[in-house]
Amino acid sequence: MLRRDDWLDLARKLDWTYSYVDERELFPEEISGRPWLPGEEWRDWDEPYRTGFAEYVTNQSAKEAAVHAVRDALGGIDDFARLDRSWLSAHKLHAATLPLAEFAAVIGNLRAGRFGRDSAWRQTAVLGALDELRHTQIPLLLMHELVRWDRQFDWTHRFLHSDDWVAIAARHLIDELLLASTPIEFAIATHFVFETGFTNLQFIGLAATAHGVGDRLFEKVVQSIQTDEARHAQIGTPVLQKVLAHDRELGQYLIDKWFWRSWHFFAVVTGFAMDYLTPLARRTASFKEFVEEWILEQFQRRCDELGLARPWYWDQFVAAVDTYHHMVYASAYTYRATVWFDLALPGPDERAWLAAKYPRSWPAIDPVWERLTERWREAGPDVEWYTHGVTPVAFCDLCQMVLCGGTPEHNTAEVVARDGRKYVFCSAPCRWIFEREPERYAAHEGIVQRILTGQAPANLVALLRRYFGLDEEVWGKDVTGGRYPWLRRRETP
Amino acid sequence: MTPLYGFVQGDTLGLVVVVDERATIAEVVAMLVEAASMRVAPRPDLRLRWRDRVLDPDLTVAAAGLEALDRVDVIAAAGEG
Repeated sequence: MLRRDDWLDLARKLDWTYSYVDERELFPEEISGRPWLPGEEWRDWDEPYRTGFAEYVTNQSAKEAAVHAVRDALGGIDDFARLDRSWLSAHKLHAATLPLAEFAAVIGNLRAGRFGRDSAWRQTAVLGALDELRHTQIPLLLMHELVRWDRQFDWTHRFLHSDDWVAIAARHLIDELLLASTPIEFAIATHFVFETGFTNLQFIGLAATAHGVGDRLFEKVVQSIQTDEARHAQIGTPVLQKVLAHDRELGQYLIDKWFWRSWHFFAVVTGFAMDYLTPLARRTASFKEFVEEWILEQFQRRCDELGLARPWYWDQFVAAVDTYHHMVYASAYTYRATVWFDLALPGPDERAWLAAKYPRSWPAIDPVWERLTERWREAGPDVEWYTHGVTPVAFCDLCQMVLCGGTPEHNTAEVVARDGRKYVFCSAPCRWIFEREPERYAAHEGIVQRILTGQAPANLVALLRRYFGLDEEVWGKDVTGGRYPWLRRRETP
Repeated sequence: MTPLYGFVQGDTLGLVVVVDERATIAEVVAMLVEAASMRVAPRPDLRLRWRDRVLDPDLTVAAAGLEALDRVDVIAAAGEG
Protein backbone atom coordinates (compact mmCIF):
# COMPACT_ATOMS: atom_id res chain seq x y z
CA MET A 1 0.00 0.00 0.00
CA LEU A 2 1.34 3.41 -0.94
CA ARG A 3 2.15 5.80 1.84
CA ARG A 4 0.05 8.96 2.07
CA ASP A 5 2.61 11.30 0.53
CA ASP A 6 3.22 8.89 -2.33
CA TRP A 7 -0.34 9.05 -3.58
CA LEU A 8 -1.65 12.39 -2.33
CA ASP A 9 -0.45 14.54 -5.20
CA LEU A 10 -1.74 12.07 -7.79
CA ALA A 11 -5.15 13.46 -6.91
CA ARG A 12 -4.33 16.81 -5.42
CA LYS A 13 -2.04 18.05 -8.19
CA LEU A 14 -4.13 16.74 -11.04
CA ASP A 15 -4.15 19.34 -13.78
CA TRP A 16 -5.39 18.24 -17.16
CA THR A 17 -3.79 19.21 -20.44
CA TYR A 18 -6.58 21.06 -22.22
CA SER A 19 -7.16 20.14 -25.85
CA TYR A 20 -10.77 21.13 -26.60
CA VAL A 21 -10.63 24.65 -25.24
CA ASP A 22 -7.97 27.28 -24.88
CA GLU A 23 -6.69 27.83 -21.34
CA ARG A 24 -7.73 31.47 -21.51
CA GLU A 25 -11.29 30.38 -22.22
CA LEU A 26 -11.22 27.90 -19.37
CA PHE A 27 -9.79 30.42 -16.91
CA PRO A 28 -10.85 33.85 -18.25
CA GLU A 29 -8.88 36.71 -16.77
CA GLU A 30 -12.02 38.59 -15.70
CA ILE A 31 -13.03 35.62 -13.52
CA SER A 32 -9.72 33.95 -12.60
CA GLY A 33 -8.00 37.27 -12.00
CA ARG A 34 -4.82 39.04 -12.96
CA PRO A 35 -2.02 38.72 -13.62
CA TRP A 36 -3.11 36.08 -16.07
CA LEU A 37 -0.30 33.53 -16.30
CA PRO A 38 -0.04 30.29 -18.27
CA GLY A 39 -0.90 27.20 -16.25
CA GLU A 40 2.69 26.00 -16.00
CA GLU A 41 3.56 29.15 -14.06
CA TRP A 42 1.26 27.91 -11.29
CA ARG A 43 2.43 24.28 -11.20
CA ASP A 44 4.70 24.81 -8.20
CA TRP A 45 1.80 26.24 -6.15
CA ASP A 46 1.52 24.52 -2.79
CA GLU A 47 0.42 25.05 0.79
CA PRO A 48 1.63 23.28 3.92
CA TYR A 49 -1.53 21.52 5.18
CA ARG A 50 -1.97 19.29 2.09
CA THR A 51 -5.24 17.90 3.44
CA GLY A 52 -7.05 15.14 1.59
CA PHE A 53 -10.83 14.87 1.55
CA ALA A 54 -11.01 11.76 3.75
CA GLU A 55 -8.78 13.43 6.34
CA TYR A 56 -10.91 16.52 6.17
CA VAL A 57 -14.12 14.59 6.85
CA THR A 58 -12.55 12.77 9.79
CA ASN A 59 -11.16 15.95 11.36
CA GLN A 60 -14.29 18.02 10.83
CA SER A 61 -16.53 15.30 12.21
CA ALA A 62 -14.55 15.31 15.45
CA LYS A 63 -14.73 19.10 15.64
CA GLU A 64 -18.47 19.10 15.06
CA ALA A 65 -18.95 16.56 17.83
CA ALA A 66 -16.93 18.78 20.18
CA VAL A 67 -18.99 21.88 19.34
CA HIS A 68 -22.25 20.00 19.84
CA ALA A 69 -21.03 18.71 23.19
CA VAL A 70 -20.18 22.23 24.34
CA ARG A 71 -23.52 23.49 23.07
CA ASP A 72 -25.41 20.78 24.92
CA ALA A 73 -23.53 21.59 28.10
CA LEU A 74 -23.33 25.39 27.91
CA GLY A 75 -25.64 26.67 25.17
CA GLY A 76 -28.92 26.98 27.00
CA ILE A 77 -30.79 30.18 27.78
CA ASP A 78 -29.87 29.84 31.45
CA ASP A 79 -26.19 29.82 30.52
CA PHE A 80 -26.55 33.03 28.53
CA ALA A 81 -28.69 34.68 31.16
CA ARG A 82 -25.78 34.37 33.59
CA LEU A 83 -23.45 36.40 31.37
CA ASP A 84 -22.80 40.09 31.82
CA ARG A 85 -25.29 42.18 29.83
CA SER A 86 -22.60 44.23 28.13
CA TRP A 87 -20.85 41.07 27.03
CA LEU A 88 -24.14 39.79 25.60
CA SER A 89 -24.09 42.85 23.37
CA ALA A 90 -20.68 41.78 22.07
CA HIS A 91 -22.31 38.41 21.33
CA LYS A 92 -25.13 40.07 19.40
CA LEU A 93 -22.71 42.19 17.40
CA HIS A 94 -20.65 39.15 16.44
CA ALA A 95 -23.62 36.89 15.91
CA ALA A 96 -25.04 39.29 13.33
CA THR A 97 -21.86 40.15 11.48
CA LEU A 98 -20.51 36.59 11.29
CA PRO A 99 -22.74 33.87 9.82
CA LEU A 100 -24.06 35.32 6.56
CA ALA A 101 -20.69 36.91 5.87
CA GLU A 102 -19.25 33.43 6.23
CA PHE A 103 -21.83 32.23 3.74
CA ALA A 104 -20.58 34.83 1.28
CA ALA A 105 -17.12 33.35 1.89
CA VAL A 106 -18.51 29.96 0.81
CA ILE A 107 -19.20 31.51 -2.58
CA GLY A 108 -15.78 33.18 -2.76
CA ASN A 109 -14.09 29.88 -2.00
CA LEU A 110 -16.23 28.00 -4.50
CA ARG A 111 -15.24 30.48 -7.21
CA ALA A 112 -11.63 29.69 -6.39
CA GLY A 113 -12.55 26.00 -6.36
CA ARG A 114 -13.44 26.38 -10.05
CA PHE A 115 -11.32 29.28 -11.31
CA GLY A 116 -8.19 29.03 -9.13
CA ARG A 117 -5.24 28.36 -11.37
CA ASP A 118 -3.83 25.20 -9.80
CA SER A 119 -5.59 22.00 -8.80
CA ALA A 120 -4.14 21.97 -5.26
CA TRP A 121 -5.38 25.55 -4.81
CA ARG A 122 -8.78 24.54 -6.10
CA GLN A 123 -9.01 21.58 -3.77
CA THR A 124 -7.96 23.59 -0.72
CA ALA A 125 -10.53 26.22 -1.70
CA VAL A 126 -13.30 23.61 -1.85
CA LEU A 127 -12.41 22.53 1.67
CA GLY A 128 -12.41 26.22 2.59
CA ALA A 129 -15.96 26.50 1.22
CA LEU A 130 -17.04 23.59 3.42
CA ASP A 131 -15.34 25.32 6.36
CA GLU A 132 -17.23 28.54 5.76
CA LEU A 133 -20.52 26.69 5.46
CA ARG A 134 -19.81 25.30 8.92
CA HIS A 135 -19.06 28.83 10.17
CA THR A 136 -22.41 29.94 8.79
CA GLN A 137 -24.31 27.12 10.45
CA ILE A 138 -22.75 27.18 13.92
CA PRO A 139 -23.83 30.69 14.99
CA LEU A 140 -27.25 30.27 13.37
CA LEU A 141 -27.73 27.04 15.30
CA LEU A 142 -26.50 28.44 18.61
CA MET A 143 -28.34 31.75 18.46
CA HIS A 144 -31.64 30.36 17.20
CA GLU A 145 -32.37 28.96 20.64
CA LEU A 146 -31.99 32.45 22.12
CA VAL A 147 -34.42 34.31 19.87
CA ARG A 148 -37.42 33.46 22.03
CA TRP A 149 -35.54 34.83 25.06
CA ASP A 150 -34.22 38.02 23.47
CA ARG A 151 -35.39 39.23 20.05
CA GLN A 152 -32.14 41.11 19.43
CA PHE A 153 -30.62 37.68 18.70
CA ASP A 154 -32.98 37.43 15.72
CA TRP A 155 -30.58 39.79 13.97
CA THR A 156 -28.11 36.91 13.73
CA HIS A 157 -29.90 36.01 10.52
CA ARG A 158 -31.84 39.17 9.80
CA PHE A 159 -28.96 41.64 9.88
CA LEU A 160 -27.53 41.26 6.38
CA HIS A 161 -31.03 41.14 4.88
CA SER A 162 -31.82 44.55 6.37
CA ASP A 163 -31.03 48.09 5.21
CA ASP A 164 -29.70 49.07 8.60
CA TRP A 165 -26.69 51.35 8.11
CA VAL A 166 -24.30 48.81 9.64
CA ALA A 167 -25.63 46.17 7.27
CA ILE A 168 -25.13 48.49 4.30
CA ALA A 169 -21.52 49.04 5.40
CA ALA A 170 -21.00 45.32 6.01
CA ARG A 171 -22.46 44.36 2.63
CA HIS A 172 -20.33 46.96 0.88
CA LEU A 173 -17.26 45.26 2.33
CA ILE A 174 -18.43 41.65 2.13
CA ASP A 175 -19.87 41.85 -1.37
CA GLU A 176 -16.59 43.11 -2.76
CA LEU A 177 -14.32 41.00 -0.57
CA LEU A 178 -16.15 37.71 -0.88
CA LEU A 179 -18.64 37.82 -3.73
CA ALA A 180 -17.13 40.09 -6.37
CA SER A 181 -13.42 39.29 -6.12
CA THR A 182 -11.50 37.10 -8.51
CA PRO A 183 -9.81 34.10 -6.89
CA ILE A 184 -6.50 36.00 -6.94
CA GLU A 185 -7.87 39.09 -5.19
CA PHE A 186 -9.94 36.85 -2.89
CA ALA A 187 -6.84 34.89 -1.88
CA ILE A 188 -4.84 38.01 -1.07
CA ALA A 189 -7.68 40.01 0.47
CA THR A 190 -9.48 37.29 2.38
CA HIS A 191 -6.84 34.68 3.10
CA PHE A 192 -3.72 36.78 3.49
CA VAL A 193 -5.00 40.09 4.87
CA PHE A 194 -8.35 39.39 6.53
CA GLU A 195 -7.75 35.86 7.86
CA THR A 196 -4.01 35.86 8.42
CA GLY A 197 -3.55 39.50 9.32
CA PHE A 198 -6.61 40.28 11.36
CA THR A 199 -8.61 37.31 12.57
CA ASN A 200 -6.11 36.46 15.29
CA LEU A 201 -7.58 39.50 17.00
CA GLN A 202 -10.77 37.49 17.18
CA PHE A 203 -9.55 33.96 17.54
CA ILE A 204 -6.85 34.56 20.07
CA GLY A 205 -7.56 37.98 21.59
CA LEU A 206 -11.32 37.75 21.84
CA ALA A 207 -11.24 34.04 22.72
CA ALA A 208 -9.02 34.94 25.69
CA THR A 209 -11.46 37.68 26.63
CA ALA A 210 -14.40 35.26 26.41
CA HIS A 211 -12.50 32.87 28.67
CA GLY A 212 -12.05 35.67 31.19
CA VAL A 213 -15.73 36.54 31.06
CA GLY A 214 -16.65 32.91 31.68
CA ASP A 215 -18.27 32.49 28.27
CA ARG A 216 -16.95 29.01 27.48
CA LEU A 217 -19.31 28.51 24.53
CA PHE A 218 -18.03 31.59 22.69
CA GLU A 219 -14.46 30.63 23.50
CA LYS A 220 -14.81 27.05 22.23
CA VAL A 221 -16.68 28.04 19.10
CA VAL A 222 -14.15 30.62 17.97
CA GLN A 223 -11.32 28.23 18.73
CA SER A 224 -13.00 25.55 16.64
CA ILE A 225 -13.49 27.99 13.78
CA GLN A 226 -9.88 29.13 14.11
CA THR A 227 -8.57 25.66 13.30
CA ASP A 228 -10.42 25.82 9.97
CA GLU A 229 -9.24 29.34 9.24
CA ALA A 230 -5.64 28.44 9.97
CA ARG A 231 -5.79 25.78 7.25
CA HIS A 232 -7.58 27.54 4.41
CA ALA A 233 -5.82 30.87 5.07
CA GLN A 234 -2.68 29.13 3.78
CA ILE A 235 -4.00 29.72 0.26
CA GLY A 236 -3.10 33.38 0.57
CA THR A 237 0.68 33.39 0.76
CA PRO A 238 1.51 31.23 -2.29
CA VAL A 239 -0.95 33.23 -4.42
CA LEU A 240 0.51 36.51 -3.18
CA GLN A 241 4.06 35.29 -3.86
CA LYS A 242 3.13 34.46 -7.44
CA VAL A 243 1.48 37.84 -7.96
CA LEU A 244 4.47 39.66 -6.47
CA ALA A 245 6.82 37.74 -8.77
CA HIS A 246 4.94 38.93 -11.87
CA ASP A 247 3.25 42.21 -10.88
CA ARG A 248 4.66 43.64 -7.67
CA GLU A 249 2.70 46.89 -7.93
CA LEU A 250 -0.60 45.00 -8.12
CA GLY A 251 0.28 42.82 -5.12
CA GLN A 252 1.24 45.85 -3.05
CA TYR A 253 -1.95 47.66 -4.07
CA LEU A 254 -4.16 44.76 -3.03
CA ILE A 255 -2.42 44.56 0.33
CA ASP A 256 -2.76 48.31 0.89
CA LYS A 257 -6.42 48.37 -0.14
CA TRP A 258 -7.58 45.38 1.85
CA PHE A 259 -5.56 46.12 4.94
CA TRP A 260 -7.39 49.43 5.33
CA ARG A 261 -10.82 48.01 4.56
CA SER A 262 -10.29 45.09 6.95
CA TRP A 263 -9.02 47.44 9.65
CA HIS A 264 -12.27 49.39 9.73
CA PHE A 265 -14.28 46.20 10.09
CA PHE A 266 -12.23 44.81 12.98
CA ALA A 267 -11.92 48.16 14.72
CA VAL A 268 -15.67 48.10 15.21
CA VAL A 269 -16.40 44.42 15.73
CA THR A 270 -13.41 43.66 17.94
CA GLY A 271 -12.66 47.14 19.27
CA PHE A 272 -16.15 47.62 20.70
CA ALA A 273 -16.07 44.18 22.36
CA MET A 274 -12.64 44.51 23.94
CA ASP A 275 -12.65 48.11 25.15
CA TYR A 276 -16.31 48.75 25.96
CA LEU A 277 -18.46 45.62 26.15
CA THR A 278 -16.17 43.38 28.21
CA PRO A 279 -16.64 43.90 31.97
CA LEU A 280 -13.69 45.89 33.27
CA ALA A 281 -12.60 43.26 35.79
CA ARG A 282 -12.34 40.68 32.98
CA ARG A 283 -10.29 42.69 30.50
CA THR A 284 -6.88 41.16 29.86
CA ALA A 285 -5.53 43.79 27.45
CA SER A 286 -6.80 46.72 25.45
CA PHE A 287 -7.78 46.51 21.80
CA LYS A 288 -4.75 48.62 20.99
CA GLU A 289 -2.43 46.19 22.78
CA PHE A 290 -3.88 43.28 20.81
CA VAL A 291 -3.50 45.23 17.56
CA GLU A 292 0.09 46.07 18.42
CA GLU A 293 0.92 42.45 19.09
CA TRP A 294 -1.02 40.72 16.33
CA ILE A 295 -0.97 43.27 13.54
CA LEU A 296 1.72 45.86 14.02
CA GLU A 297 4.31 43.22 14.89
CA GLN A 298 3.23 39.93 13.33
CA PHE A 299 1.55 41.04 10.13
CA GLN A 300 4.25 43.58 9.48
CA ARG A 301 6.93 40.91 9.95
CA ARG A 302 5.09 38.69 7.46
CA CYS A 303 5.02 41.52 4.94
CA ASP A 304 8.73 42.15 5.49
CA GLU A 305 9.47 38.50 4.76
CA LEU A 306 7.67 38.84 1.44
CA GLY A 307 9.46 42.07 0.57
CA LEU A 308 6.30 44.15 0.81
CA ALA A 309 6.48 47.80 1.79
CA ARG A 310 4.31 49.12 4.58
CA PRO A 311 1.07 50.58 3.24
CA TRP A 312 1.65 54.25 2.34
CA TYR A 313 -0.82 55.35 5.03
CA TRP A 314 0.94 53.39 7.81
CA ASP A 315 1.37 56.45 10.06
CA GLN A 316 -2.34 57.23 9.72
CA PHE A 317 -3.16 53.63 10.57
CA VAL A 318 -0.98 53.70 13.71
CA ALA A 319 -2.67 56.95 14.76
CA ALA A 320 -6.11 55.45 14.06
CA VAL A 321 -5.41 52.50 16.37
CA ASP A 322 -5.48 55.08 19.16
CA THR A 323 -8.69 56.81 18.15
CA TYR A 324 -10.90 55.27 15.46
CA HIS A 325 -12.91 52.72 17.46
CA HIS A 326 -13.35 55.26 20.28
CA MET A 327 -14.79 57.78 17.81
CA VAL A 328 -17.14 55.19 16.33
CA TYR A 329 -18.23 53.81 19.71
CA ALA A 330 -19.10 57.22 21.15
CA SER A 331 -21.01 57.99 17.95
CA ALA A 332 -22.81 54.65 18.01
CA TYR A 333 -23.71 55.10 21.67
CA THR A 334 -25.48 58.33 20.84
CA TYR A 335 -27.25 56.66 17.90
CA ARG A 336 -27.79 53.32 19.64
CA ALA A 337 -31.40 52.99 18.49
CA THR A 338 -30.03 52.56 14.95
CA VAL A 339 -28.48 49.19 15.82
CA TRP A 340 -29.79 45.87 17.17
CA PHE A 341 -27.69 45.58 20.33
CA ASP A 342 -27.35 47.61 23.50
CA LEU A 343 -24.35 49.76 24.36
CA ALA A 344 -22.70 50.54 27.66
CA LEU A 345 -21.85 53.95 29.09
CA PRO A 346 -18.27 53.78 30.41
CA GLY A 347 -18.18 54.75 34.07
CA PRO A 348 -15.39 56.43 36.04
CA ASP A 349 -13.39 53.21 36.46
CA GLU A 350 -13.69 52.29 32.79
CA ARG A 351 -12.72 55.81 31.75
CA ALA A 352 -9.69 55.69 34.03
CA TRP A 353 -8.69 52.35 32.46
CA LEU A 354 -9.14 53.77 28.95
CA ALA A 355 -7.14 56.87 29.90
CA ALA A 356 -4.28 54.65 31.07
CA LYS A 357 -4.41 52.47 27.95
CA TYR A 358 -4.78 55.39 25.51
CA PRO A 359 -2.82 58.27 27.06
CA ARG A 360 -2.40 60.11 23.74
CA SER A 361 -5.96 60.07 22.50
CA TRP A 362 -8.23 59.69 25.51
CA PRO A 363 -8.01 63.29 26.79
CA ALA A 364 -9.82 64.42 23.62
CA ILE A 365 -12.44 61.64 23.82
CA ASP A 366 -13.22 61.78 27.52
CA PRO A 367 -15.17 65.10 27.45
CA VAL A 368 -17.77 63.39 25.25
CA TRP A 369 -18.40 60.80 27.99
CA GLU A 370 -18.40 63.49 30.65
CA ARG A 371 -21.08 65.30 28.69
CA LEU A 372 -23.15 62.13 28.25
CA THR A 373 -22.83 61.32 31.93
CA GLU A 374 -24.11 64.76 32.85
CA ARG A 375 -27.03 64.38 30.46
CA TRP A 376 -27.97 61.04 32.06
CA ARG A 377 -27.78 62.68 35.50
CA GLU A 378 -30.08 65.49 34.37
CA ALA A 379 -32.61 63.19 32.75
CA GLY A 380 -32.65 60.18 35.07
CA PRO A 381 -33.04 56.50 34.19
CA ASP A 382 -34.80 55.33 31.03
CA VAL A 383 -34.82 58.75 29.34
CA GLU A 384 -32.85 57.37 26.42
CA TRP A 385 -33.52 60.19 23.98
CA TYR A 386 -31.80 62.87 26.06
CA THR A 387 -28.48 61.21 25.26
CA HIS A 388 -29.42 60.24 21.73
CA GLY A 389 -28.93 62.08 18.45
CA VAL A 390 -31.78 62.79 16.05
CA THR A 391 -29.92 64.59 13.26
CA PRO A 392 -28.94 62.39 10.30
CA VAL A 393 -25.29 61.41 10.30
CA ALA A 394 -22.92 61.31 7.34
CA PHE A 395 -21.36 58.16 5.92
CA CYS A 396 -18.16 57.54 3.98
CA ASP A 397 -18.74 56.82 0.28
CA LEU A 398 -16.13 54.06 0.39
CA CYS A 399 -16.43 52.17 3.67
CA GLN A 400 -20.04 53.35 4.34
CA MET A 401 -19.12 53.88 7.97
CA VAL A 402 -19.91 57.00 9.97
CA LEU A 403 -17.41 59.83 9.37
CA CYS A 404 -15.25 59.12 12.42
CA GLY A 405 -11.75 59.51 11.03
CA GLY A 406 -9.13 61.53 12.89
CA THR A 407 -9.79 63.04 16.28
CA PRO A 408 -12.50 65.18 17.90
CA GLU A 409 -10.31 68.20 17.19
CA HIS A 410 -9.63 67.30 13.57
CA ASN A 411 -12.00 65.05 11.66
CA THR A 412 -10.24 63.78 8.52
CA ALA A 413 -13.32 63.66 6.26
CA GLU A 414 -12.82 64.93 2.70
CA VAL A 415 -15.49 66.03 0.21
CA VAL A 416 -14.64 65.43 -3.45
CA ALA A 417 -16.63 66.49 -6.54
CA ARG A 418 -16.65 63.98 -9.39
CA ASP A 419 -18.83 63.71 -12.50
CA GLY A 420 -21.49 66.04 -11.14
CA ARG A 421 -21.79 64.34 -7.76
CA LYS A 422 -20.15 65.03 -4.42
CA TYR A 423 -18.58 62.19 -2.53
CA VAL A 424 -17.41 62.28 1.06
CA PHE A 425 -14.71 60.05 2.51
CA CYS A 426 -13.86 59.49 6.14
CA SER A 427 -10.13 59.36 5.47
CA ALA A 428 -7.44 59.76 2.84
CA PRO A 429 -7.01 55.96 2.43
CA CYS A 430 -10.76 55.51 1.77
CA ARG A 431 -10.59 58.28 -0.84
CA TRP A 432 -7.49 56.69 -2.38
CA ILE A 433 -9.18 53.27 -2.66
CA PHE A 434 -12.24 54.86 -4.29
CA GLU A 435 -10.15 56.82 -6.77
CA ARG A 436 -8.13 53.77 -7.82
CA GLU A 437 -11.28 51.96 -8.98
CA PRO A 438 -14.10 54.54 -9.23
CA GLU A 439 -16.09 52.41 -11.67
CA ARG A 440 -16.40 49.85 -8.89
CA TYR A 441 -17.80 52.21 -6.28
CA ALA A 442 -19.23 55.39 -7.82
CA ALA A 443 -22.79 54.20 -8.40
CA HIS A 444 -23.37 53.07 -4.82
CA GLU A 445 -25.85 55.18 -2.89
CA GLY A 446 -25.28 55.60 0.82
CA ILE A 447 -27.94 56.41 3.39
CA VAL A 448 -27.62 60.17 2.88
CA GLN A 449 -28.21 59.87 -0.88
CA ARG A 450 -31.16 57.58 -0.19
CA ILE A 451 -32.64 60.14 2.19
CA LEU A 452 -32.00 63.08 -0.13
CA THR A 453 -33.60 61.27 -3.07
CA GLY A 454 -36.64 60.24 -1.04
CA GLN A 455 -35.84 56.51 -0.97
CA ALA A 456 -35.45 56.57 2.82
CA PRO A 457 -37.23 58.77 5.38
CA ALA A 458 -35.30 61.65 6.96
CA ASN A 459 -37.13 61.41 10.28
CA LEU A 460 -35.05 59.21 12.57
CA VAL A 461 -37.86 57.14 14.07
CA ALA A 462 -39.40 56.56 10.65
CA LEU A 463 -35.96 55.61 9.34
CA LEU A 464 -35.52 53.08 12.14
CA ARG A 465 -38.93 51.53 11.78
CA ARG A 466 -39.56 51.64 8.05
CA TYR A 467 -36.08 51.44 6.55
CA PHE A 468 -33.77 49.75 9.07
CA GLY A 469 -36.45 47.26 10.17
CA LEU A 470 -36.06 47.95 13.89
CA ASP A 471 -38.76 48.40 16.49
CA GLU A 472 -38.70 49.68 20.03
CA GLU A 473 -38.24 46.25 21.58
CA VAL A 474 -35.24 45.45 19.42
CA TRP A 475 -33.42 48.70 18.80
CA GLY A 476 -30.36 49.40 20.92
CA LYS A 477 -30.56 51.11 24.29
CA ASP A 478 -28.19 51.74 27.14
CA VAL A 479 -27.51 48.31 28.69
CA THR A 480 -28.79 49.49 32.06
CA GLY A 481 -31.21 52.16 30.94
CA GLY A 482 -28.98 54.63 32.75
CA ARG A 483 -29.18 52.75 36.06
CA TYR A 484 -25.50 52.61 36.88
CA PRO A 485 -24.59 52.48 40.57
CA TRP A 486 -22.10 55.29 40.03
CA LEU A 487 -24.63 57.43 38.21
CA ARG A 488 -26.90 59.15 40.67
CA ARG A 489 -29.28 61.89 39.76
CA ARG A 490 -28.31 65.07 41.56
CA GLU A 491 -30.87 65.94 44.20
CA THR A 492 -32.47 69.34 43.93
CA PRO A 493 -31.62 71.28 47.13
CA MET B 1 -32.72 73.93 0.96
CA THR B 2 -29.04 73.01 1.14
CA PRO B 3 -27.72 69.83 2.76
CA LEU B 4 -24.31 70.25 4.40
CA TYR B 5 -21.79 67.95 6.03
CA GLY B 6 -21.20 69.51 9.44
CA PHE B 7 -18.45 68.86 11.99
CA VAL B 8 -18.48 70.35 15.46
CA GLN B 9 -15.09 70.74 17.11
CA GLY B 10 -14.83 68.19 19.91
CA ASP B 11 -17.38 65.84 18.33
CA THR B 12 -16.80 62.28 17.18
CA LEU B 13 -18.63 62.18 13.86
CA GLY B 14 -19.90 64.14 10.89
CA LEU B 15 -23.56 65.19 10.67
CA VAL B 16 -25.90 66.16 7.85
CA VAL B 17 -27.99 69.27 8.26
CA VAL B 18 -30.37 70.69 5.71
CA VAL B 19 -30.41 74.48 5.88
CA ASP B 20 -32.49 77.20 4.26
CA GLU B 21 -30.48 79.34 1.83
CA ARG B 22 -31.87 82.40 3.68
CA ALA B 23 -30.62 81.19 7.06
CA THR B 24 -27.68 83.06 8.53
CA ILE B 25 -24.35 81.44 9.22
CA ALA B 26 -25.03 82.02 12.94
CA GLU B 27 -28.20 79.95 12.58
CA VAL B 28 -26.29 77.16 10.84
CA VAL B 29 -23.82 77.17 13.75
CA ALA B 30 -26.69 76.97 16.24
CA MET B 31 -28.29 74.12 14.34
CA LEU B 32 -25.06 72.08 14.35
CA VAL B 33 -24.32 72.84 18.00
CA GLU B 34 -27.79 71.65 18.96
CA ALA B 35 -27.41 68.52 16.81
CA ALA B 36 -24.18 67.60 18.65
CA SER B 37 -25.25 68.82 22.07
CA MET B 38 -25.56 65.39 23.69
CA ARG B 39 -21.84 64.82 23.01
CA VAL B 40 -20.35 68.32 23.01
CA ALA B 41 -21.28 70.99 25.54
CA PRO B 42 -22.26 74.23 23.79
CA ARG B 43 -19.68 77.00 24.04
CA PRO B 44 -19.94 80.72 23.38
CA ASP B 45 -18.25 82.46 20.50
CA LEU B 46 -18.32 79.73 17.87
CA ARG B 47 -17.63 80.28 14.18
CA LEU B 48 -18.25 78.42 10.93
CA ARG B 49 -15.26 77.48 8.80
CA TRP B 50 -15.73 76.66 5.12
CA ARG B 51 -12.89 75.99 2.68
CA ASP B 52 -10.28 77.46 5.04
CA ARG B 53 -12.32 80.65 5.54
CA VAL B 54 -14.14 81.70 8.68
CA LEU B 55 -17.55 83.01 7.62
CA ASP B 56 -19.25 86.16 8.81
CA PRO B 57 -22.08 85.00 11.13
CA ASP B 58 -24.47 87.57 9.64
CA LEU B 59 -24.14 86.34 6.06
CA THR B 60 -26.85 84.11 4.68
CA VAL B 61 -26.07 80.64 3.39
CA ALA B 62 -26.70 81.84 -0.16
CA ALA B 63 -24.58 84.96 0.21
CA ALA B 64 -21.72 82.98 1.71
CA GLY B 65 -21.77 80.71 -1.34
CA LEU B 66 -22.28 77.41 0.47
CA GLU B 67 -23.21 74.63 -1.92
CA ALA B 68 -24.99 71.34 -1.40
CA LEU B 69 -22.91 68.72 0.46
CA ASP B 70 -20.05 71.07 1.23
CA ARG B 71 -18.10 70.47 4.42
CA VAL B 72 -18.45 73.06 7.17
CA ASP B 73 -16.78 73.07 10.58
CA VAL B 74 -17.99 74.67 13.79
CA ILE B 75 -14.87 75.89 15.59
CA ALA B 76 -14.04 78.00 18.59
CA ALA B 77 -13.23 81.61 17.72
CA ALA B 78 -9.73 81.06 19.11
CA GLY B 79 -9.26 78.28 16.53
CA GLU B 80 -9.82 80.58 13.56
CA GLY B 81 -7.34 80.81 10.74
